[in-house]
Amino acid sequence: MATLTTPKIEARSVSKIYVSARTGDKVEALRGVSFSMKPGEFVSIVGPSGCGKSTLLSLIAGFATPSAGEVLFDGKPIDGPDPARGVMFQDYALFPWRTVRGNVEFGPMARGVDKTRRAAIVARNIEMVGLAGFEDRYPHELSGGMRQRCALARLLANEPDMWLMDEPLAAVDLQTRVILQDELLRLWGDAGDPAQRRAVLFVTHGIDEAVYLSDRVIVLGRRPGQVKEIVDIDLPRPRIGARTAPRAAALIDHIWNLIRAEAAQAIVEEP
Amino acid sequence: MRVMRPIARLAEFALALGILVILWHLLSVRVANATLLPSPLAVALAWVELLRTDLPADIAASLVHLGVGYGAGAALGLALAILCARSAVADAIVDPAMELLRPIGAIAWIPIAIVFFGIGRGVPMFLIFYASAFPIFVNTLAGVREVDRNLIAAARMLGASPRLVVTHVVLPAAMPLVLAGARLSLGVAWAAMVAAELTGADAGLGWRIFWYQEFFAMDKVMAVILTIGVFGYLLDLALRRLQAALTRWSADTRAEAA
Amino acid sequence: MTLPLRIKAPLIFFPALLLSWECAVWLAGAAKIMPYPSGVALAAIRDIADGTLIDAIAGSLRRVITGFAVAALLGVPLGLLMGLVEPVRRALDPIVDSLRAIAPIAWIPLALLWLGIRGNAALFIVAYAAFFPFVLNTIQAVRLIDRKLVDAARALGASPLLVLRAVVVPGAVPTVMTGARIAMAFAWGSIIAAEMAIGIKVNPGGAATVGLGQLMVSTLYVKRDINGLVLYMLSIGLVSLAIDHGVRAFQRKATPWQR
Ligand SMILES: Nc1ncnc2c1ncn2[C@@H]1O[C@H](COP(=O)(O)OP(=O)(O)O)[C@@H](O)[C@H]1O
Ligand SMILES: [Mg+2]
Repeated sequence: MATLTTPKIEARSVSKIYVSARTGDKVEALRGVSFSMKPGEFVSIVGPSGCGKSTLLSLIAGFATPSAGEVLFDGKPIDGPDPARGVMFQDYALFPWRTVRGNVEFGPMARGVDKTRRAAIVARNIEMVGLAGFEDRYPHELSGGMRQRCALARLLANEPDMWLMDEPLAAVDLQTRVILQDELLRLWGDAGDPAQRRAVLFVTHGIDEAVYLSDRVIVLGRRPGQVKEIVDIDLPRPRIGARTAPRAAALIDHIWNLIRAEAAQAIVEEP
Repeated sequence: MRVMRPIARLAEFALALGILVILWHLLSVRVANATLLPSPLAVALAWVELLRTDLPADIAASLVHLGVGYGAGAALGLALAILCARSAVADAIVDPAMELLRPIGAIAWIPIAIVFFGIGRGVPMFLIFYASAFPIFVNTLAGVREVDRNLIAAARMLGASPRLVVTHVVLPAAMPLVLAGARLSLGVAWAAMVAAELTGADAGLGWRIFWYQEFFAMDKVMAVILTIGVFGYLLDLALRRLQAALTRWSADTRAEAA
Repeated sequence: MTLPLRIKAPLIFFPALLLSWECAVWLAGAAKIMPYPSGVALAAIRDIADGTLIDAIAGSLRRVITGFAVAALLGVPLGLLMGLVEPVRRALDPIVDSLRAIAPIAWIPLALLWLGIRGNAALFIVAYAAFFPFVLNTIQAVRLIDRKLVDAARALGASPLLVLRAVVVPGAVPTVMTGARIAMAFAWGSIIAAEMAIGIKVNPGGAATVGLGQLMVSTLYVKRDINGLVLYMLSIGLVSLAIDHGVRAFQRKATPWQR
């Protein structure tokens, strides 16, 4: 039984080596990554392209297993995907053949929730992300921002304990992103009781975004991916409406200096 | 690793082929009727014999049909597509005409072709010509039309003349689609050729099939059928190689070649 | 006259073409050896009135549909197997490729021998032609399924069975449908070829007109009616247009999520 002091996530010296099935080539994506997350904590992962952010997230989601080390969820080793750890994918991975309603309904349906309760859950979550009225649209009929909201509603409908988000705001324009950041904070409970919050592991390219949203930022370096530093974001909450604190600028600078050289390198190396 | 892969692939192919031949052999033993189902060995022997006698002439005849018909069809398809791209009037007339003719497959023309050309080599040549014109026309026109406007603008900005834009931007950009059309054409033309030779010609691989059927020489019929398969495969392979060589820059081709 | 060029030009060109063709044939006194528009129209009235055309089309279509169904029943499972199991695909790929390179009609002598002239030989040719688009597109469909969607479903708690039913199958449907469209076009093309070959081979003078192909052969060799031949040719085109529209409409209905 998980107690209050059990970390939500605990990664212990996690390494991941991919072996290509065709050529036998090996790619060391992660090496000796350790960190832990408290319940209700908002943690971001930043790092240059190809440093293993998605890989780390997929290990925690349970899509892949570490080559060495282990990842614990509520103190237990992770063994495959689990609806308790909801995932939001970089390009959303909405089911193109299901409408907004069908996508949001998928999780409850998969877990065997009966039809009437399902309808209520779907309606509530669609309402919550502001997609009411668009229930019968297919994903290709939605704007980027609406797709993002649909993916969020699909994640929330399963009431997961933890949100794993892989660059969820990378594919929308800047203004939409700012709005969606605030919405994400609101849904998470930026202004509310910390005990009601879910743990969030949020992968992003945007250092300012990470600083604005998170309690802590894990900075990954690349080749192989390892933890450079874990930065405490000691900005007060609620943060909605307080984007331009001088302290935030200092933190952004600090993180950027950690990864600048490698990010430049990544531009040349990534295909 | 690099050297191993083709060999490993060949081994897999040989294994699958071996299993197929063994199954065929067992089946032919069970049927025990050389006319109904000749054994693989009988077909192989017939093939060797035919290669020394009739087959080279038939292959040559078919390749002549293909060369003349396909050459003319591809040329017409390309010319019409370029005409349509350049002239709005031509486009308004040629496009609906092609759309009307396209659903009438080449094979539907066989009787008319027999009326006009008589049984002989005109029928397969005409059918191949007709069959190959459409895919090349459609793909070339699409390729030319879908060229990224920004690429043309970029070339103009860099000082390219309209002519240079055509030769160095439009044509290369359209090339993957043109070649895809050429491959599609060849497949359709090959099938049309065999059908035309079977029904309305006095030479070629398709004609030879019926010739041996008259004598119920099924081992020889089968050998000709296999020859048709081998040549169809080789021709497609050749075009695929050409495609890969001419469009090295295209991500699609690379993915396909890999 | 402010019609757009795309409408105006064909509206002038095609009637003019037909008219000058008609006149040319009559002026040259070539009505016996050349087809001409009014002759084709008369043939159409004659053959529709006495049911010849409809019967022949129905006969051909029946075999096309049966052959198409057989091809789907055999091709889709094989494609699934080849798409899901990599070694099977690698082993069978060259065999499928070489069999595909054999023009379906080339099998006609053996098909006649094995299945007889009463339609089943043509059925074999049709099924053979339609088989490969099904196999190839099903392989493609399975390989194209987005891994992320599978992961997404699993993360939402879907069982393997639900993943298969709710992700793999709908993900594969559009590509398989495209295969079905190609297969249908191939099937229709090859039924005509097969019927003609059978007609020429088996019954050059006979009256057994069970399909459009046989009808064409007897029109060519027995009735020697060129206008009729043109009519049948146009009918072949019309039917294939109708088939393609039908399949497309079905495809749109069955996959409304496609743009
Ligand atoms: N399935 C895979 N097979 C082989 N290599 C992979 C695979 N997924 C990721 N990689 C490699 O692992 C490294 C980290 O990738 P990823 O986790 O996607 O990085 P990020 O999300 O930080 O951009 C990259 O070099 C990438 O090429
Ligand atoms: Mg990533």
